[in-house]
Amino acid sequence: MKPPNLFRKSAEKGLVYSLVMIFMMMIGFHVVAANLMSKVFGVTVLRGSIPEVRFMAFVHILFAFLFGWGASDRQRDKKSRIRQGLITSLTAGGIIALFSVLLNYLVEAQIDIRQYLTAFSADSMRYFILNQGQSGIFVLFAIYLFTGLLGTILAIIFQSEKAQTSRQSLKAKIGEAAQTFSDKMPTLVKKHWKYGIYAILVVVLLIMPMRWGSYYNFVASVVGVYVIAGIGLNIMVGLSGQLMLGYAAFFAMGAYSVALLNAPTPHGIMLGFWPSLLVGVVAAMIGAVLLGLPIMRLRGDYLAIVTLGFGEIIRILLKSDLLIDFTGGPRGIHAIQGPTLFGRSFTSDSDYVYLILVFIAISIFIYQRLANSRTGRAWLAIKEDPIAAQATGINLRGYKLLALIIGAAFAGLVGGIAAARNAFTGPNDHSLMVSINVLSLLIVGGMNSIPGIVLGAFALRGLPEILREVETYRQLAFGILLIVMMLVRPKGLWPGSRPVLEKVDEEVVEEISTEIKKPKRKRTHA
Amino acid sequence: MLNVSNLHVHYGAIHALKGVSFNLEEGEIVALIGSNGAGKSTLLKTISGLLEATEGEVSYQDEIISGQPAQDIVSKGVIHIPEGRKIFPKMTVVENLEMGAFLLRDRRLVAERMEAMFERFPVLRDRKKQLGGTLSGGEQQMLTMARGLMTNPKLMLLDEPSMGLAPVLVEKVFDIIEEINEQGTSILLVEQNAQMALSIADRAYVLETGRITLSGDALDLMENPLVIEAYLGG
Repeated sequence: MKPPNLFRKSAEKGLVYSLVMIFMMMIGFHVVAANLMSKVFGVTVLRGSIPEVRFMAFVHILFAFLFGWGASDRQRDKKSRIRQGLITSLTAGGIIALFSVLLNYLVEAQIDIRQYLTAFSADSMRYFILNQGQSGIFVLFAIYLFTGLLGTILAIIFQSEKAQTSRQSLKAKIGEAAQTFSDKMPTLVKKHWKYGIYAILVVVLLIMPMRWGSYYNFVASVVGVYVIAGIGLNIMVGLSGQLMLGYAAFFAMGAYSVALLNAPTPHGIMLGFWPSLLVGVVAAMIGAVLLGLPIMRLRGDYLAIVTLGFGEIIRILLKSDLLIDFTGGPRGIHAIQGPTLFGRSFTSDSDYVYLILVFIAISIFIYQRLANSRTGRAWLAIKEDPIAAQATGINLRGYKLLALIIGAAFAGLVGGIAAARNAFTGPNDHSLMVSINVLSLLIVGGMNSIPGIVLGAFALRGLPEILREVETYRQLAFGILLIVMMLVRPKGLWPGSRPVLEKVDEEVVEEISTEIKKPKRKRTHA
Repeated sequence: MLNVSNLHVHYGAIHALKGVSFNLEEGEIVALIGSNGAGKSTLLKTISGLLEATEGEVSYQDEIISGQPAQDIVSKGVIHIPEGRKIFPKMTVVENLEMGAFLLRDRRLVAERMEAMFERFPVLRDRKKQLGGTLSGGEQQMLTMARGLMTNPKLMLLDEPSMGLAPVLVEKVFDIIEEINEQGTSILLVEQNAQMALSIADRAYVLETGRITLSGDALDLMENPLVIEAYLGG
C-alpha cells in the first residue's frame, strides 16, 4: 500500500513549483535572465526587449527539468519516486497550462495589462506560450510532463547508490591527484599560493579599468565606494555588534566637507581635494564621538532607532532652509573639484577607479589588522556579552566608541571621494536608503568577510546598475532575493569565518604543560 | 580589604540599595544571603563598577574604588563572576580563558595560567576546542570561574554560582570555591542557596530589600531562628 499522503504532497509540490515559476514570470524574471545572458555570453536572445521564443522554450524546459528533479524524495523506492515525479509534473504542467489559457485569452482579446504588470506586454505573453497560440498550451503541458519525468528519472539514476559510489571514487581520485600535484610543488608555492591568486587579482584589477568602457568604470567605482563603506559599517555592526542605521550621516559629513571646502559655490574656499578629504574624515570621526557618547548605554533595537534618527536629522538639516546659505539646501553643491596627484588632475572614470582601488586596499589592510588584534577580540567579546566583557576588564565604552569612530572614518572617506567623483553632493545622496543599502550588502554578502562584502556590494549596487533597463521590478525582485537568501544562506553569500582568537602558541602551551607535569618543578599557583 | 559604607543605588526611581555597609577581611569567605530582589546582585555590580552608586563609597585596600570604571577595578585584582554563567558562547574554551586574561600582556604568563586552569578544571581541558555555548551548565560555571581566575584576582565576587545546577554539581562548585579561597583569594559570595553558602563562609550578611538586617559568623547565623525560618526552610 502506498503511503496515503504521497499523492497530496506531490501535488502540493507541483502547485508550489508552478506558482513560483508563474510569479517569476510576472515580475519579469525571464526578461532579466535574457538580458543577463545577452550581456554575459554575448548571445542575443532578445527581440527588442522581449526574450525570444527559443529562449523561452529553454526556460520552460529548464524549469520543468528542475521540477522533476526536485519532485521525489531521496529515501523512497524507485516506483513511488516515479509516481511522485509524475504527479508533480502533471500538477505543474496543468497549472502552467491553465495560466497559458489565461494568457492566450488576454492576447486574443487584446487586453493590455501592462498597466499592472509592466513585464507583460502582448508579445511577451505570446512568447510565454512559445508564439504558438492555442497549440502552445499543449506543447507547454507536454514539456512540463515529459521533461519533468525525465528530471525525476535522472535524479533517481544520479542519486542511486551506484552513481554515488562512482562519484565518490572519482572525487577521491581527483583529491589524490591534487594531493600529488601539490606535493610536487615547491614548498614556496605550497605555502604562498594564496598570494599568487591575490597577485593575479591585483593585476587584473589594474588592467581592467583601462580596458572596459567608462560605463563599467562608473559601475566599478560605485561598487568600490560601497565596498569601503561596507568595511566601515562592518567594523561597527559585524565586529563590535552595534546596529547602526544612520551610517549615511557620516557619508554626508565627508561629502559636505569636501564639497564646502573644494567647490566654487557657496563658499569658494578651494582648499584642495586632499586636505578637504582629511577634514571630511576627521569630521566624520568627530560626528561619531558626538553620536556615540549619548548612545553608549543603548543596545539592539534602541540603538538602531536612535542611529536611524541621527541619520535623518543630518539629512533634514542639510535639506532645510535653515542652512541654505551654508550648505546649499536641497539643491546641493555643484562643481566639486576632484583631486590632483603629481600635477595630474583626475578627470576620467578610470582615474577614480584606481583611486578607489587604492583606498579599498588600504581599508582591507586596516580592517584585517583590527579584526585580528586585541581590539578585535575586545569587540567580539562585547558583541557576545557586554556584561561578561566588562567583568573581564574590557573598557566597554572605550571600545564601543572606538568602533564607531573607525567605522565613521571609512564613511567620511568614501563620502568625500564620491562627492568629488560625482562633482556633486546633495541631501538625497545621504538618505536612509544609503544606510540601509550598506547594511543590506553586509547581510547579503556575509558579515566579517572581505569577499562577502565585495560580493554583497556587487549584488546590491553593481547588478542593479548593469540591469538598469529592466529595473521595473528591481525592488520587488530584490526583496524576494533577500528573503530567499535568508532562507537558503542565512549568514550571507560568503560569511566570514570567525577570527581565530587563539593567540597562545600551541608550542608554548605544550612546553609549559610538560614543565608543570615534571615533579621537580614546584608548582606555584599563578 | 573591602569596605562598603552606606551604599545607595537607584535604578531610576527604584531605590535598590538603601545604605548598605559591610566589610571583608583578607582571606575570608563572606556570604551575602537574601531572597529574590533583595539587592544582592546590585551590590556586587556596584562593587565591580558595572553600576554606579548614588551615595556612599566602596574602598578596596584603603583606596576608594567606587566611581572608577570597571576595567580599572578588574586590574586592581577584583574580579566579578556575574550570575547566569556569562561565558562567551561563540568562543572556544581556550578563547574564553584568553578573554579572561585580557589585561595581561605577557603571553607566556597567559599560557601558564591557562595550564593551571586546566589542571584545576580537568573537564575544561577535555573541552578545550569546544565553543562555550555547547558546554553543559556545570561546565559553563567552571568556565566562568576559570576565566575569572585567569587574572589571578585577590578578591572574587561570585554571583549565584549554584544557579540552575544539579545538587551534585553545586557541591563540586562549592568545593572549588573553598579551594580557591585556600589558595589565597578572598571571596564575596552571593547566594540564594543559604545552606551551602553558610556552610563554607566565615561570616555572612543577610540582605533584605536593600538593607542589611543581620550579620555575624556563618555558624551562628545558621542557628539563628530568623535565618532558619526565612532561608533554611524552617
